[in-house]
Amino acid sequence: MPSIGDTKARLLRGIVEDNINVVQGVRIRRVVRRATRVKVWLWIAISGLAVGYLSVATQGVSRGGAPTSAVAKAPAPAINPIASEPVPETEAPLAHPRPIDRNAIPLGLKTVVIDPGHGGDPGAIAESGLAEKDITLDIGLRLRRLLQEAPFEVLLTRDTDRRLSLDQRVQFANENKADLFLSIHVNSMEPRTIRALETYYVGPTDDPHALNLASRENKESGYSLSDYKQILEKIYVDARRDESHTAARTLHSELFHTLKVDNPELENRGVRTAPFVVLIGTQMPAVLIEIACLSNPEEVELLTNQQYRENIALALAQGIRRYASSLTVAARKGS
Amino acid sequence: MEESNDTLCVGIDLGTSRSSISASSGERHVIDSYVGWPVDMVARKLVKKSVLVGRDALDNRPMLDLRRPLERGIMKEGSEKDQEAVQEILRHLIGLAGVKPKSKNKVKVRAVVGVPAEAFRVNRQNLRSTMEGIADSVMLVSEPFAVAYGLEALLHALVIDIGAGTADFCVMQGRYPTEEDQKTLPNAGDAIDEQLMKLIRERHPDAQFSIHMLRDWKEKWSFVGEPKQRVIVSAPIKGKATEIDITQEMRTACESILPPICETMTTLLAKVEPEFQAKVRNNVILAGGTSLIAGLADAVTHALSDLGGGRATVVKDPVFAGSDGSLAIAQDASGSDWEKLSL
Repeated sequence: MPSIGDTKARLLRGIVEDNINVVQGVRIRRVVRRATRVKVWLWIAISGLAVGYLSVATQGVSRGGAPTSAVAKAPAPAINPIASEPVPETEAPLAHPRPIDRNAIPLGLKTVVIDPGHGGDPGAIAESGLAEKDITLDIGLRLRRLLQEAPFEVLLTRDTDRRLSLDQRVQFANENKADLFLSIHVNSMEPRTIRALETYYVGPTDDPHALNLASRENKESGYSLSDYKQILEKIYVDARRDESHTAARTLHSELFHTLKVDNPELENRGVRTAPFVVLIGTQMPAVLIEIACLSNPEEVELLTNQQYRENIALALAQGIRRYASSLTVAARKGS
Repeated sequence: MEESNDTLCVGIDLGTSRSSISASSGERHVIDSYVGWPVDMVARKLVKKSVLVGRDALDNRPMLDLRRPLERGIMKEGSEKDQEAVQEILRHLIGLAGVKPKSKNKVKVRAVVGVPAEAFRVNRQNLRSTMEGIADSVMLVSEPFAVAYGLEALLHALVIDIGAGTADFCVMQGRYPTEEDQKTLPNAGDAIDEQLMKLIRERHPDAQFSIHMLRDWKEKWSFVGEPKQRVIVSAPIKGKATEIDITQEMRTACESILPPICETMTTLLAKVEPEFQAKVRNNVILAGGTSLIAGLADAVTHALSDLGGGRATVVKDPVFAGSDGSLAIAQDASGSDWEKLSL
């Protein structure tokens, strides 16, 4: 009777032989794969050259004017009802501060992503038919124009009336390595007498109004509020929150004091935290502003006024500049 | 046989439900064979990883594109994502064994991986390709053979390795098993799950439960034969936690794999030379996660009595029996053998 050692040696020979048979099959396959890889690399090289050529050819167009959105580069179509008033690209600014020389500021803030809420879907709609998506786009476009000369790049998640998922908006900001993300929305709430300004940054909340609002704005994300609770527990200590808070305070304060002049009954609801998906997913300081209430007929009337919308954009632009300056000062102090 | 400090031998049992690794460093680990990728930026932010493997993936499943990439013990065909998932499982297992993926002092990894007894050559080729970049040399062996090798049950033994995806049989007659000596059946743990799901839904149509809950119940309460206790589980009915008795359903589902297993066992035993059949009947070894079903060895022993008597036993460590056996093969193989099978 053979020993265990002899039997094992025989079995091992069998294993190796069996596996060599498998390997021989693999070698045939590998040759095919290498040939395919060569084709893929050749294709990549040709595509790269073509893309390089095209980007050089078009560089003057895309960088010569205002920074354009990488998501949507088509010209803004007519939007209703504000769309009938073209966005004034050359309009003389009112209290518009003089642009700062790009070289004067070390770039603590290099890229700002402006996210006009909704698009495709209307968002909130006033009784008059005025839709949230149109207001937010109008203000986003104005903001981009006002910041054209700013020492940082401004990108829009959308510059046409097109549908973008919340995740696409987040992805756009993250991929462009934005240093600040600003999402613009318009509220709608009961009672209709309320006219309020609210600014949000990421964080947990027990406020039923904020939860309800977040739930509404997040509805297409596929997450439930209980999912967000879990998410927020994990990111509660995120250092980015402090920066978001600073940006939110700066923008909110600028906007409230500007709008109070024409809208004296505007309620200051302050800076709050809430689990909006665009604030959770973005990797940079992020702020969401509800600039007005479409449920309030007086505010709707104000919003249909071109100058009022321009003032909103001016205030936001000023807020962004102030925030950028604060970063620069902090950088100079070495903090 | 030849092993130095810069070489790590590992045995891997790549299972449909669970995968285990035993390493020459002494590390032994078992993981759930699940891989998940965050579905979007928010999920990624939450889970803080680009890919999750094992229990981590199962626990975070609402936020993941969750894959169970093995089907009946082999990689699912035609899905790149599933192939990638298998790679992640293998990489994770080897990482658990102590190999850092980007280590400068790279350790040579020699891996023996168990596959179903009747895995087609093309499946084996796919698995080898999948191991590229993860191990330096690879041998694939049939799972029940690896169990037999590890237990040194090399002569007059029948190993039945019952996992989630397959039940694999191998008769050991002192030689490298041929196709005649081996058999693979799809009647294993997953088949029990399907049956159990169907039976509970029939009897408790309003009960809400997931496949993961059901697998947990099975892990705790599975049995064949006369029940020693009632199987009472909690499942929501119209949102209210409700206790339901699933004793009969559990028994019926678990016993559903017995007829095909006993039939295949009989067929393989009949092929053994007549003078050795009694020896093999008395050395039936059950391994794999599903062999942990209470009363299974007794039921198989009972079936052997119809063939003239015999004895079935469950290995001491059914979860690691396959990976321990594969490790033994890896350590016994010579350096020149490994060279021939390098990737």
